[in-house]
Amino acid sequence: MRKKLLSMLMCMCLTAALLAGCGSKEDTTASKSADTETAEETTEASNGGYALVTKAAGNPYNEKMAEGFSDVIKELTGTDAIIKHPQAATADAQIEVINSLISQGVSSICIAANDENALQAVLEDAMNAGIKVSCLDSKTNSDSRMTFVNQAGTKEIGTTLMEAILDITGGEGQFAILSATSQATNQNAWIDAMKEAMETDDKYSKLELVEVAYGDDEPQKSTDQTQALLSNYPDLKVICAPTTVGIAAAAKVLQDQKSKVKLTGLGLPSEMAEYIGDDDAHSCPYMYLWNPIDVGRLGAYVSSALVNGEITGAAGESFTAGDMGDYEVVDAGDGGTEVILGAPFKFDPSNIEEWKTVY
Amino acid sequence: MAGKSGRTISNTPDKSLKSRLLCWESMMILLFILVNVLCICISPTYNIRNVFREMPKYLIEMFLLFPMAYILVLGDIDISVGAIVCLSATMASIATNNGVPFLVAAVIAIVVGMLCGLVNGCILTMFTELPPMIVTLATQIIFFGIAEIALGSGGSISLTDTAGYKAISAKIGMVPVVFFVVIVFAVIFTVILSRTTFGRNVYAIGSNRVAAYYSGVPVQRIRLLIFTATGLMAGICALFLTSILYGANTTTGKGFEMDAIAMAVFGGISTSGGKGRLLGGIISGFTIVCLRIGLGQINMHPQLILIILGILLIAAVLVPNISMAFTKKKTA
Repeated sequence: MRKKLLSMLMCMCLTAALLAGCGSKEDTTASKSADTETAEETTEASNGGYALVTKAAGNPYNEKMAEGFSDVIKELTGTDAIIKHPQAATADAQIEVINSLISQGVSSICIAANDENALQAVLEDAMNAGIKVSCLDSKTNSDSRMTFVNQAGTKEIGTTLMEAILDITGGEGQFAILSATSQATNQNAWIDAMKEAMETDDKYSKLELVEVAYGDDEPQKSTDQTQALLSNYPDLKVICAPTTVGIAAAAKVLQDQKSKVKLTGLGLPSEMAEYIGDDDAHSCPYMYLWNPIDVGRLGAYVSSALVNGEITGAAGESFTAGDMGDYEVVDAGDGGTEVILGAPFKFDPSNIEEWKTVY
Repeated sequence: MAGKSGRTISNTPDKSLKSRLLCWESMMILLFILVNVLCICISPTYNIRNVFREMPKYLIEMFLLFPMAYILVLGDIDISVGAIVCLSATMASIATNNGVPFLVAAVIAIVVGMLCGLVNGCILTMFTELPPMIVTLATQIIFFGIAEIALGSGGSISLTDTAGYKAISAKIGMVPVVFFVVIVFAVIFTVILSRTTFGRNVYAIGSNRVAAYYSGVPVQRIRLLIFTATGLMAGICALFLTSILYGANTTTGKGFEMDAIAMAVFGGISTSGGKGRLLGGIISGFTIVCLRIGLGQINMHPQLILIILGILLIAAVLVPNISMAFTKKKTA
């Protein structure tokens, strides 16, 4: 019996070893820096690879970002990028992942942070080890990054969405905003930017914002909130949903009820394709979103520029991001710097067919 | 005589060399060595320096393993520890940000943890018929709720003064301070459970609560004490976690309870009570930590690491049962 027990344990270990072997093959392990001695002794990180840390495994938006990142790194260095997914969508799990990357002696880490401040200690460790740290999609505080790849400036989004509302309403009337949660920092910043645009420019004076509703980024709650808006404001002309979950839920409600209310905002082309159209049968004439693949690509160029010493992450520096053109590092207003990808991309009936398969 | 867990209990413990070499703990040591050999083989960056550097984040969960082992031996369970960690970390961060010196904030973290543990203990000992799983599930929700309210709209709080916290997340040479603290607690908890009357009583309660009660063991007092101590350890865990996170957020401590239970069960401590030793739990804890660090360094997909840990856990539960079936066949 003892022998059986022993053999069983051995089997267990073998299974683990086997699985470990498979895992290492299917994942992109570019960082097998042969000379580990130097990697740990020198504070300057060796050319151990370019890493991207996502928010969580299975986040489609982040997956597309990772795709763009990998492509550019492959093109620039000829090696595969290291794409690391944390175990859960928490800062805790990202700390484990970053620690592991420091051990591997990577050259750069580009991260979509799950918490603004919680990663400070570990990212400072990384920078002390000579690793170039940048953020994309969602940033950390200014002490824990060198620069941030911002998918779209807050102001650009505010003005673009107001322009769309102005255009769809025909210049006057009521509109409502369907947001995510009341605490979502990015949502609130965009809504504030929209309000600011309304105050500063006279052409919006005939538009009236009747309510900001919160669907908490849950399809059911967003649906309920849309229906409440429709019954509370019979003169409503447009709903603007700057969240991918909210816009998809609202689009379905409006289209199913054959409502005259139109929709715009920020949405995923794949989810919104069936609702986008110019006629009355479709609820959304056009909408916006940035291109996550481009966010990832720019992230890769920023990582590369930081590693090559082209930029240090200080405001005023500029670099060339391949065929994407020239970019400048600007002040982010939080004590740190950022690189702004550009104005959001417009999805209308003319291009939605092509984009709906992309993401 | 066969106990309820199916094992045989003899008057004199078997102390032969053979039985010592083949006990669960020896197997765990063997597995620990195997895991390390495996990690060194698959990852070129797996060395002592890197392991110690990555260790603290995983090691803090060991603070929860120690009291959890007692609770499992009692035949109870506590799934609110993760929430207690969250609440303690939140309170300590808020205190620090209000200008309270670090030592006072540390005491606050520990006292908050203890109070939470006391609440669990009081409910469970006053209403003994309540299942601990449900009670601690309820308190888990409550503690997380209080923490989320305290954290406010942002759902996250960050320290404005990190001086004291940096001291406890520092390293002596290349060994982090938290490692020494964990070892000290490991020794204390192991000795109490395996070498004292109190420890014997804990096993007695776990094996047969009614029999223990009628033998004069203060069953409810011991349970109250252990649940409170669990809260206290969660407070200490929170303190070290805060020193890593420089603050607290709504996801702090989520899932810690399950990790602690997994380490204990993998170490041979049965959830049905009265069985297993803390030493096994501690070795298994270190084994899991090393495995996660090693597999992390070869950039294995995180869910695949979880699957491997899951398989190991099932194996750990199955092996004793299968081996028991073999012994039964032989004696029959």
